[in-house]
Amino acid sequence: MKEKPFWSPYAGGIGLGITLLLAFVFMGRGLGASGAMMRFTTWVVDVFAHDHVMANPYFAKYAEHPFSNWLVFEIIGVMIGGFLSGMLAGRNKWRTGRGPNITKHKRWLLAFIGGAIMGFGARLSRGCTSGLALTGGATLAVGGWVFMFAVFGAAFATAYFVRKQWI
Amino acid sequence: MAPFYKYGFFSEQTGLIVALILGISFGFWLERSGFGYSRKLALQFYFKDNTVLYVMFTAILVAMLGVLFFSLFGWLDITKIYINPTYIWAQLIGGLILGVGFAIGGYCPGTSVVGAVTGHIDALFFLGGAMTGMFVFGEMFPSIEDLYNWGYMGNVRLSDVLNVSSGVVAFAAVVLAIVMFKGAEWAQNRFGKEVL
Amino acid sequence: MKEVAITSGRMNHGVDPLLHAWGWEIPLYLFLGGLVAGILFFSAFFYLRHRENVFTAAIKVAPLYTPVFLAIGLAALFLDLSHKLYFWRLYTTIRWESPMSWGAWTLLFIFPLSVIWAAFWVKDVYPNWDWKFPIIEKTIAWLAQFKKWFAWSLILFSGILGMYTGILLSAFNARPFWNTSILGPLFLVSGLSTGAAFILLISRSEQERHRFSQIDSFLIGTELFLIIHMFMGFLASTSVQIHAAEMFLGGPYTAIFWTFVVGIGLLLPLLIEIMELRGVTVPAVIPAMLVLFGGLMLRFVVVDAGQSSRWLYKFMEQLVF
Repeated sequence: MKEKPFWSPYAGGIGLGITLLLAFVFMGRGLGASGAMMRFTTWVVDVFAHDHVMANPYFAKYAEHPFSNWLVFEIIGVMIGGFLSGMLAGRNKWRTGRGPNITKHKRWLLAFIGGAIMGFGARLSRGCTSGLALTGGATLAVGGWVFMFAVFGAAFATAYFVRKQWI
Repeated sequence: MAPFYKYGFFSEQTGLIVALILGISFGFWLERSGFGYSRKLALQFYFKDNTVLYVMFTAILVAMLGVLFFSLFGWLDITKIYINPTYIWAQLIGGLILGVGFAIGGYCPGTSVVGAVTGHIDALFFLGGAMTGMFVFGEMFPSIEDLYNWGYMGNVRLSDVLNVSSGVVAFAAVVLAIVMFKGAEWAQNRFGKEVL
Repeated sequence: MKEVAITSGRMNHGVDPLLHAWGWEIPLYLFLGGLVAGILFFSAFFYLRHRENVFTAAIKVAPLYTPVFLAIGLAALFLDLSHKLYFWRLYTTIRWESPMSWGAWTLLFIFPLSVIWAAFWVKDVYPNWDWKFPIIEKTIAWLAQFKKWFAWSLILFSGILGMYTGILLSAFNARPFWNTSILGPLFLVSGLSTGAAFILLISRSEQERHRFSQIDSFLIGTELFLIIHMFMGFLASTSVQIHAAEMFLGGPYTAIFWTFVVGIGLLLPLLIEIMELRGVTVPAVIPAMLVLFGGLMLRFVVVDAGQSSRWLYKFMEQLVF
């Protein structure tokens, strides 16, 4: 099947906004992503070194069973929703997102490095683009807006140095 | 009266089912907008594809106005809504680090999950990296705890800091968004549009 | 002052029975039992309909796994026994009213049947297979003339096996959540659906996958119907039963049951399979894996929740805890 084009960004934005609004209406809290990943990370570490997790105050906070957490269920939902949407549009294929001037393997390496930097930053700021910028932005939290402009500022500044990767 | 969960309309366990349903919708709309594709996200930072900006700000405006109007009509108790606590310096520095990671890695945590389930191999590497980064942060935590708590201001909102009503802030946010949309459109035409 | 004397020995240690006695062994065994029942049923059924050349995976390949699955399941069951050396005593008696007896005798028949049934097809699947001893080859060739009878008895015994995995639980009338007659059909249908999913997983032919997608979606629909009726039945029943159902309607098992069993294990694969039948391309592996996962989770949740539901629950909650 041929891949269908993406929908208009405004449609996507309204859809996401309504989802976020419903999260506020039903649960009184916004969406998130990195918290669930932190739980999963802690769970993996916990399997191998339980005492180590308990000795570290930061890990210990996340050391519950991963399936008890709200964000973990939400992320499982994100996986289902993303998969269904991709399936309906014929977009579920193995591939690597990259610019024309970079090899697959270099892109994988950079993705890993970028992920590590982002994981660290997301924990330092207590949230990521969904949990802090989007949710905090919609509730007009000061931290959310400061964080959002910091993210965009740093990303625009870094973009020049990694331009070979994307354009 | 909303938020329903805080007013005891359903239990914590039922809330997890709500989480799953909201997550399905979240993932669906992220994928529909093309957020599973790292290059599409990254082209934002070269002013070639403004999808990230449009989607994100439209979503923020819709949710923000929704919350404000619902509380104005008396449907939603805004005091029961979770406001992210502000640790201004920690979040500023964290945001700068995360921005660097965004430009290099091409995803953010939520979108990388969508990328991974739609078959993007780089998203899988990104997820592995993100978990490594979080592990490193956890290991380093005792030594950077001061940084982590730097600039605590409580659960403050922009309206508290600027000392104006939240309606004014919301109006300013709408104006800001329109200005940014127009500016981004201009930049997109100038730097060569490449919408995927 | 009004004095209330409560005379009960309940506070003494060891008076109440052990409530969570079953761990992972029983659910795994029930899952594998259902899966084997499903595979053998489809294999025998389509053999009798003369579909050997169309549904190769269902008739010939899938049964080869069944002795292995049964052996693993029985090993898990054996691990769970407290008096491992006395299991043979089940075979000293036949008691029509006891599901344990039914199960023990059914297993005694279906295990050799599955081995023989698998042996019939080994040569079709692996053309270079060599039985080493001519006696085995001869025996199989001799038995092969009764293939039809084997198929009929497989249908019978796989039906009993599939039912029994659920009836085994519903015979515990001290556990309100298990004590419902719907559990038997529910586990049978779930077993058939995991069997169809397994066939879907190993099949390489387009036509076969299409047919089993259809069968599987039909079975999932039936399963959903049974689950809804199970809860309706509970809610219309006595207060202990209502209490048992509430564990799933807001209580501690709500999230795990409705998301993992009903959502990911039934609704999602049903949706994907319907899409697939309507022409959207999806790897058939995904719905199949989801169905198998959902079947396993169903057993785990039902076994665990059943052990948490009890008659004296409310009464004890007010008095002691």
